[in-house]
Amino acid sequence: MFTISRDESGNILLAGRLDASQVDAAAAILDPLTTSCIVDFKNLDYISSAGLGILLKTQKRLGASGQSITLINMNKMIRDVFHIARFDLIFTIR
Amino acid sequence: MQQQFPRTMHALESVFGFLGRFAEENSVPPDVSFVLNLAVEEFFTNMVKYSGSTDGSVDISAVREPGRIVIALVNRGVEPFDVTVAKGSPTDVPLQERPVGGLGIKIAREMLDGLDYSYSDRTSRITLIKNLER
Repeated sequence: MFTISRDESGNILLAGRLDASQVDAAAAILDPLTTSCIVDFKNLDYISSAGLGILLKTQKRLGASGQSITLINMNKMIRDVFHIARFDLIFTIR
Repeated sequence: MQQQFPRTMHALESVFGFLGRFAEENSVPPDVSFVLNLAVEEFFTNMVKYSGSTDGSVDISAVREPGRIVIALVNRGVEPFDVTVAKGSPTDVPLQERPVGGLGIKIAREMLDGLDYSYSDRTSRITLIKNLER
């Protein structure tokens, strides 16, 4: 199961599993973004390349206007996926 | 353990259910299970997207052998596509030049300990291996 929401600070919270079947749900929140924000992975257990794709699409669109998403609180396995994809070069990951 | 799945994106949840039951019955550690889920998702979704038709099914089998897990995906009625040599998208280019997509096979290959591909009689077989740490 996957959920995506925004908290009171405007941070985006991911939870569960972001796999190929959940990309539309993620896009519903990420596609309208126009300014920088934080994406919190603390409750996300799993991500596949489909999830990476929607995050990359968001970062590219925001980057064109000098904005970006910052990714925080990844678990080790998800951090490894980002490293293999060399997404740690194009995202700020804390 | 073996199961047949319709070659559609709707079957992905069932595929994960199969992998979850296998992991539980065979005491697969969470980090190994993560890699197996990711790799199977990448190859299964590619089969759905690129087989040319959604009529058809994919057979997935999983077995625990001494020191490793072996999973096979068999896809029938398809053209060959050797995942062991497929090039993914570049990862060493600036943000605006990074293509969206094309990373799944590359990530799966890196995280697995073995990957094999065979093709015969319009049937593709992908075999994944992930070692169990001692």
